[in-house]
Amino acid sequence: MRARKANKPLPASRLPKARTLRLGAAVDGSRVRIVLVAALMGLAWLGLLGRAYWVQVVDGPRLASLASRQHVASEYVSGERGRIYDRAGHLLAMSVEFKSIFARPLEVENPRAAARVLANALSRPYAEVLRRLTERRKFVWIARQVGDKAASVVADASLSGVYLTTEYARQYPDRHLAGQLIGFVGLDQKGLEGVEKAFDGLLAGREASFPVQRDASGRRLYLDEAGREVDIDGGDLHLTIDEHVQFVAEEALQAAVRDNEAKSGTCLVVDVASGEILAWAEYPFFNPNTYRDSSPAQWRSRIAGDAVEPGSTLKAFVVAAALQEGVCDRDSLYYCENGRWRIKGATINDTHKYKWLPVHKVLRYSSNIGAAKIGEGLGVPKYYEYLSNLGFGRRTGLPLPGESRGILREPGEWTDVDLAAASFGQGVGVTALQLARAYLCLANDGVLRPLRLVRSPEVEREPDRAVFRPEVARQVLAMLRDVVMEDGTGTAARIEGLQIGGKTGTAQKAEPTGGYGKKYLASFVGFVPVDRPRFYIQVMVDEPQPSHYGGVVAAPAFKEIAVKSLAYLGELPDVGPLPAAAMEVAGDAENKRIVHKFEVGENAAGSVAASADRDDGRVPDVVGYSLRRAVALFARRGVMPAVRGEGLVVARQSPAPGGSWEKAREQGCVLWLARGDERS
Amino acid sequence: MSTADRPNGAPQGRASLKEAVLSMDLLLLGVTLLLMGIGLMMVLSASGIMAEKFFGDKYHFFHRQILFAVAGTALMATVALAPRKRIYSLKYLLLFGVVFTLLAVLVTPLGLEINGARRWLKLGPFSLQPMEFAKVALVVYLAWFFSRKQELVKSFSVGVVPPFLVTGLMCLLLLLQPDFGGAAVLAMLLFLMCLAGGTRLVYLLLSLCLAGGGAWLLIVQSPYRSRRLLAFMDPFKDALDTGYQLVQSLYALGSGRIWGAGLGMGKQKLFFLPEAHNDFIMAVLGEELGFAGMVLVFAIVGVLLWRCFVITLRQEDLCDRLTAFGMTLILGLGAILNMAVVLGTAPPKGVPMPFLSYGGSHVLCAFLCVGLLLNLSRTAGGRNTAQGRAA
Repeated sequence: MRARKANKPLPASRLPKARTLRLGAAVDGSRVRIVLVAALMGLAWLGLLGRAYWVQVVDGPRLASLASRQHVASEYVSGERGRIYDRAGHLLAMSVEFKSIFARPLEVENPRAAARVLANALSRPYAEVLRRLTERRKFVWIARQVGDKAASVVADASLSGVYLTTEYARQYPDRHLAGQLIGFVGLDQKGLEGVEKAFDGLLAGREASFPVQRDASGRRLYLDEAGREVDIDGGDLHLTIDEHVQFVAEEALQAAVRDNEAKSGTCLVVDVASGEILAWAEYPFFNPNTYRDSSPAQWRSRIAGDAVEPGSTLKAFVVAAALQEGVCDRDSLYYCENGRWRIKGATINDTHKYKWLPVHKVLRYSSNIGAAKIGEGLGVPKYYEYLSNLGFGRRTGLPLPGESRGILREPGEWTDVDLAAASFGQGVGVTALQLARAYLCLANDGVLRPLRLVRSPEVEREPDRAVFRPEVARQVLAMLRDVVMEDGTGTAARIEGLQIGGKTGTAQKAEPTGGYGKKYLASFVGFVPVDRPRFYIQVMVDEPQPSHYGGVVAAPAFKEIAVKSLAYLGELPDVGPLPAAAMEVAGDAENKRIVHKFEVGENAAGSVAASADRDDGRVPDVVGYSLRRAVALFARRGVMPAVRGEGLVVARQSPAPGGSWEKAREQGCVLWLARGDERS
Repeated sequence: MSTADRPNGAPQGRASLKEAVLSMDLLLLGVTLLLMGIGLMMVLSASGIMAEKFFGDKYHFFHRQILFAVAGTALMATVALAPRKRIYSLKYLLLFGVVFTLLAVLVTPLGLEINGARRWLKLGPFSLQPMEFAKVALVVYLAWFFSRKQELVKSFSVGVVPPFLVTGLMCLLLLLQPDFGGAAVLAMLLFLMCLAGGTRLVYLLLSLCLAGGGAWLLIVQSPYRSRRLLAFMDPFKDALDTGYQLVQSLYALGSGRIWGAGLGMGKQKLFFLPEAHNDFIMAVLGEELGFAGMVLVFAIVGVLLWRCFVITLRQEDLCDRLTAFGMTLILGLGAILNMAVVLGTAPPKGVPMPFLSYGGSHVLCAFLCVGLLLNLSRTAGGRNTAQGRAA
């Protein structure tokens, strides 16, 4: 301010006379110029008003129709199909984004040029592309699920009437794992089998024909006509399946079917307390990634869809029903006719010849004649009532397509022979699911509970129903224990250090021509451990040969699944030398990729059972641990330690405690053993 | 805000306050408040849905705009009643304050970058756009300069160079943000102020050529600017990308037809019009209130500018007149440029509609301009204010 004031006299003195004159002239001169500017602005303002009139009134109808067209069909987007996870959050099914190219032929301005660009980018014949671009239709697909490069070329060319849209392709990272259960989706992203079909309504992404807005972070927003945000992505599905138990079950089932030259097999592993299905294995495997190479016979689920005559596994229920009704008690004696009994023109045979057997031994030795006589004492109406209460002849209500209800005829149609046959599992058709549900009733103190396959979203379930008194259920469980632990038919299922209970089944299969032939369904069902049941495992092998006994064909698979699952969960008991099976947890190079997922999974073990050992993500100190426990701890992180020396207790370990698992995996682990006198 | 330090109220006592208010151009005050009211209504309509989406509060922008309007009105009242000399004495403070904040935007972490341009200064929950205040500061400076150096303005070194240097510095700082539109507005202000201030037409023509060349260079050098310009020339050619805003704006206006879709019923703002409550609020208004609503706004703005020019021309003091002229230019250029963009006759350049668009800085700036004009209107037509208003 001050400086400027000091400056002032200088110019003033230079032009002293002109000043006042000039100032006055400037005010007047500026008036003219300001009026000029005002006039120009007024003109501009009027011009803009005229432009508004043109845009809104004259050109309005055309612009409005263009705008409304854009409301109806601006971008054609489909939401991402929901993912399917196992219980621990491992991905079982996911969608991968692809670009697809479509055209609205009416909007294509230069079909020849467009066809040239598209043919080049897509490596497709020019003539074919041109034909599509000139079809007299509103909408044609040019190419679906194209590569990123081709898509960007087409996008950059920005051809009129040619559009890119996002589509999704389904991928199953674990290949065949639980293939039949998961099912698959078709090219249009519609679920066609398995839970993909059953939960299509949940999983399917919705289609949006309304426009898309991106917010500052690039997230897409879908707004409906009223401006509400719409989530067009499908919902996620969380199954009760445990990826690892599933893998173990499939591996064991495959071995059982292959080793016995059988046709097929199924296996279920269920968490007894919750009824949650941990494994749902079916062999031959089905890989949903390549469903087009498979046949419907491969992808349809036998566990849910096939009703089979179960054979001797049903005997547990005739015994339980008879105990509950007071028809007999544990020690009531039945005469087993020395292995051959004729009634009403039919002959019932036993594998071994027995004379008098108490009820619990009828089950232990699986005497058909004994079971038939117990059933005879129970009578058709009562037996039917129990079978019905146990859920046979009724769908389990699991959310799956094509579930069979089984075959349970009305009691009025039963003959005495039918009753006898039904007592040892013939003439009744049950699905693997129904059998599992009924057996779980025995382990749950006689209360029939629904099976669970889905953790979230919530699925409606049947209410629980008490079928047997708790003491009856426990009595039968004790008999099942004897089947394995005493001189019963299921000794092949024994696991040292554990009380196992189970039942073998060797069902003759009915011939299409009538009568029973030389084909069998071998099965083994059981509980681990039987005193406080944790898991229910059910293995069925169809048409094994030459051996067809459930105790021979299916029981070893049961054992393997039980041991590996428990080892994985760190729940193998601390007794006896380590069974070879547990050492193989991370074996089988062919399936390394699947196993690897457990290695990297942070919480692989924790979900099924809270582990007793704290897992802080570092190699634990296992010196002084039993070999079994040490191996289980390492196996859970996917590391199979080499074992040096003899004994049962770890004396030294490498890597040292506190190291990282990655390092341990790279370098390998060694456990040196010592004779553990203090633990013997 | 650099104008915040206000002088103690000039008119002493109730009677003189009443007199001061009555001596103002009340019509200008009326249309200003009317325009602000329409603006609030349109901001609510244009932003409600987006605000609910992003902030979980339908009234997010509306409430803030009310706050700006109240603050702006207070600022306007203060400026209108303050002694004029006090305001003029702030010119260097204003100028340095603006240059300083422009620098702060560029070099301090307070500078807020949105969509690749650093144009805002983050101040807590609000952000300040110095460009808006740069216009006011520049006008006050130029008006003072031309009125005090009147005998020199026809000579080059003293009469032409300083204003050009000051404007050039501001434009440079704006171009660094980058804010090409803002720089262009300042250049236009300089040109028109020079015109009214008596600079020789030769210089003005020369500078026009220079500015044209400079603009052309800037456009050619930046693919972003040339794309925008090309898109403006044929917006429908690339309607999904660069021409997007223009096409959507035209769609909105076209959909409005004569009577409009009804307040709050516009669809373009839902998905298509980006920043519907900001620069393209007139498109929303055009869609919802139709050509009829547009005519109304044109008329109100027309009355506003008419009153502004009347006040300007009635100033006897050259500094007063040039200041009034500059304030008129800020409002008038803003309205014209914004409408030209919305109507697809000028390339998009981020110019808000005075009083109608959402935003704190430009609302405060517009109220500041009207406040100064109201202050000047007290002396419009000599002392005979009542007659001046009646005319």
